[in-house]
Amino acid sequence: MATLILILISILISVLGFFILWMIFIYNRLISLRNEVQNAWKQIDVQLKRRHDLIPNLVSTVKGAVEFEQDTLEKVISARTKAVGATSPQEKAAAENMLTQALGKLFAVVESYPSLKSNENIMQLQEELTTTENRIGFARQLYNDLIANFRTKLEIFPNNMIASLFGFQREEYYSAEEYDKAVPMADISIRKK
Amino acid sequence: MPLTFIEIEKQKNWRIGILFIVLLLLYFCITLSLIQGFYLVFFHSVFILGGINWTYLLIIMAFSLTFATIHFLFSAFGAVKSVMHHLGATFPDAEDNIHKRLINIMDEIHVVTGNKKKIKCMVVPSLSMNALAVADLNGDAAVMITEGLLSRLSRTQLEAVMAHEAYHILSGDCLETTVAASFFGMYASMLEKIKDFGEENGRGFHPAFLLFWILLKLSQILNMFISREREYRADAASVRMTRNPLSMAEALHLISRNWTGIGFIGNGLEMLCIVSPQATSLNESEGWWADLMSTHPPIRKRMKILLSMASTNIAELDAKLNREAATANMKRSAEPVYYALDPKQQWQGPFSIADLSSLPWLSPLTWVKSVDEQTIDRAWRNPLIDPIFTARLSQKENEITDIVCPHCNQALITIPYEKTRAYQCRFCSGILVENDKIPRIIARREVPCTDRLKSLAKAVLTDNQRRITINKLRSADTKTKSSLPCPKCRRVMFRTFYSLAYLIEIDRCGLCCLTWFDTDELEILQCLIENKIIPNIGILPV
Repeated sequence: MATLILILISILISVLGFFILWMIFIYNRLISLRNEVQNAWKQIDVQLKRRHDLIPNLVSTVKGAVEFEQDTLEKVISARTKAVGATSPQEKAAAENMLTQALGKLFAVVESYPSLKSNENIMQLQEELTTTENRIGFARQLYNDLIANFRTKLEIFPNNMIASLFGFQREEYYSAEEYDKAVPMADISIRKK
Repeated sequence: MPLTFIEIEKQKNWRIGILFIVLLLLYFCITLSLIQGFYLVFFHSVFILGGINWTYLLIIMAFSLTFATIHFLFSAFGAVKSVMHHLGATFPDAEDNIHKRLINIMDEIHVVTGNKKKIKCMVVPSLSMNALAVADLNGDAAVMITEGLLSRLSRTQLEAVMAHEAYHILSGDCLETTVAASFFGMYASMLEKIKDFGEENGRGFHPAFLLFWILLKLSQILNMFISREREYRADAASVRMTRNPLSMAEALHLISRNWTGIGFIGNGLEMLCIVSPQATSLNESEGWWADLMSTHPPIRKRMKILLSMASTNIAELDAKLNREAATANMKRSAEPVYYALDPKQQWQGPFSIADLSSLPWLSPLTWVKSVDEQTIDRAWRNPLIDPIFTARLSQKENEITDIVCPHCNQALITIPYEKTRAYQCRFCSGILVENDKIPRIIARREVPCTDRLKSLAKAVLTDNQRRITINKLRSADTKTKSSLPCPKCRRVMFRTFYSLAYLIEIDRCGLCCLTWFDTDELEILQCLIENKIIPNIGILPV
């Protein structure tokens, strides 16, 4: 009888131990996924900052050559100022969108000046801005991929029990649509050039 | 098909595991058939029927597996470096605009893949058009692209190609290929030896090795099948990243119509390339035999799949590309054209505005003649030409170097040339180029090949060909001696032809690895290669 009780207790302890180990595994997995998501979000900011830093250079290079296009340049400068000063995510997204459009217009202007097009400095800056635009897009793509992965892990059974026990929250996707509604659309994305 | 690079990363491990088990099984069967072959040759019996000495068999298996593992470890640990040496690939030059674009695109790929793996990018100094991915067990991974392909692709097309190659690395395809090659490569060379031995003795291929041959062929077919499937998946992953199936299709279209590197990229590397460098009839064939015997799927089939994603087809793509070429030609012919008076008081041209802006001797006071209006005026007075000088003011100052012109003995300046940097003499317009930059300059087509250059190229080439032929007939020395000193070390350079295919005389310094091109020589060389101009020596004078 005593042996049977001993066996039962051992089985119970093993099951409990296995359950605790499994909980630790799921918890750690969710934590690492959440950190990856947060890191991906910060990477978008890093790329946006890179764009802000490049604009003063671009403006000073183009300034002398396109004197009669001051309006376009001013729009780029003011959009950058707004983007740097924006605090809430919505404000930030709207300002960044405006900046993308202003830069698109500026490069359309550059395209119409053959002498500017062949200017080495402008070509280099254009390449830098194109790669930054791409990186912003790709950072957002990675963020959404990670969100999808995190959400799946969070919602499948039995992970959802652990998630609700430790208060894991669903993260939101980055959606360009909401922000696009705030400003009129124009097909001048730099990537497509 | 995994949807994201995160899923690719997840699937990689179990896929490699399964493939490894299948290959291991096949490897055992091949080893068994090889032992059976030798048993038949020496003992004239089938050992399976006569009872197997399992201990003996296991020892042989263990030995062969150890050999394969050592072979695999040696080949898989330094694969990137060995391919790099084989192709002469180098890291991109950050000061070169086109190479910088490649570096940027690789950084973009690192962003989209969440920096899961550091992939190097490298440039192969070849005019062929191909790209390949290599990875090894050291953790090294590299995408190598030829100078020819890098120069001809647009940015979006290059993004698509690089994403395709990055997929091969991230999904573990490259490692799988290395594993397969090292497992079966040894037996493939052994089979060749057996065949050669049989042929040397006049007995031909021994039938005892038939099973071995069949199984080895089966393993090759399996590897080819896996390689083909990988290409479709890599194309899809590239579209997933760039969201632009059209660019990938356009890149394939361009690659398929050019030299893909046969004779340059070795046989063992074909599975790693974006398009098979071997120009066989199977490349473009469809059907079960072509499907079975080629490492890459037919390009047209790949293009069809990609174009269907973009809701278009090959005929429409052809029409679009033709339209674009026609528009570019029309735009070029509609642009105003000018002649300019050079410092030697000779009219040069015709030049478009873009051509004029690249002329180092063009100043606001240069006399310019408009072809349409037949007017002659100072350059600064022309409202279309004047912005060139404004733009030049904001441009980086051309640095004066301590290297001197071998003709004029004046300091050379650095100039942007074909999106890279070269040295030029402001007085005689001669150009000095580092030898490693010549392939990339030749591969690029920014500097226009004017009618003047074309006729000059033809004349120079014909003259040089005639001279070399006469000298050969007279058994005279074809080498001409240079008296020019090297602009850097001042030792006498040697005068030689660029190559026997392109007979343009150049001066080279072997110590400094520099090449001096007199006025127009570099442009003529580019023009020759771009337009495939051949000499016309006609009937030789007696």
